[in-house]
Amino acid sequence: MSKTFTLLLGTSPYSYENTLTTVKIAESALSKGHTVNVIASGDGVYCFLKGQKAKGITNAEEKFTELIEKGLRVYL
Amino acid sequence: MKDIAIILRRSPYGDINAAEAVRHAMGGVADELGVDLILIDAGVLLAKQGQDDTDTGFTNLGEALTDCMEMGVDVYADKHSIREQDMDTADIPEGIKVITGAEIAELVKNAKTTLIY
Amino acid sequence: MFVIVKSGPDTQDGKRGVKLARDLSADICLVQNAVYFAKKERLEGFCGILYVLEDDLRLRGLKDGELEGGIKKLSYDGLVGIMADEDKVVGIF
Repeated sequence: MSKTFTLLLGTSPYSYENTLTTVKIAESALSKGHTVNVIASGDGVYCFLKGQKAKGITNAEEKFTELIEKGLRVYL
Repeated sequence: MKDIAIILRRSPYGDINAAEAVRHAMGGVADELGVDLILIDAGVLLAKQGQDDTDTGFTNLGEALTDCMEMGVDVYADKHSIREQDMDTADIPEGIKVITGAEIAELVKNAKTTLIY
Repeated sequence: MFVIVKSGPDTQDGKRGVKLARDLSADICLVQNAVYFAKKERLEGFCGILYVLEDDLRLRGLKDGELEGGIKKLSYDGLVGIMADEDKVVGIF
């Protein structure tokens, strides 16, 4: 049965592992046909800035852009 | 006397502190500064062997620590913290010196600058 | 009830999450730095099912022999499956 996952992301993209955890859970839930919302709160909004150049760690802009194309809904 | 003593108190990956400590240690030696990297509290977990970054997108910080040593950073691990983290001194890779709190105090006292992560 | 904990054993948040799971007799999944709770004797007497995220174990170099007996390793797909099946998911601490 399809469910709705709503993930609250409240930390900046590169200071914590939360970006990776959120991306991986969202990716898996979308692939199983669930609805996935990410609500960015506080410093979490920085995950959605354009022009990020991060390497050696999950690039938030790149990964979230891919997931939005797969149906992720993001609310800032 | 060393130019910088970098103290790492946090375990790797959960937050950016371990990666930053390693990055700045490398930056220091690349600029020909003398650098001590001191692992205490959960920071000793950075020395754990067998870290596997496959499919995570992370830089392997265990390997980065080895690179640091090869570049000339002196790496130390606190004996008490190793015990507290249920590790054994035998788990600590070759090249990392296991030292006491008193010895750490000496390193900090003798460094020109201290960075704490 | 299913509790997810991400903070390490050296933090108040981590200890709080684990205590809540114990008090609720809930199942628990350890992710990020919380995977260090999976080491032997750290969760003695825990009565729910103990899950740990395999990717985060591997990343930190934790080996099977170091882990509490009976612990179940999960992939992200496994974690999402449990989250979808549970009535209530609490976390992430």
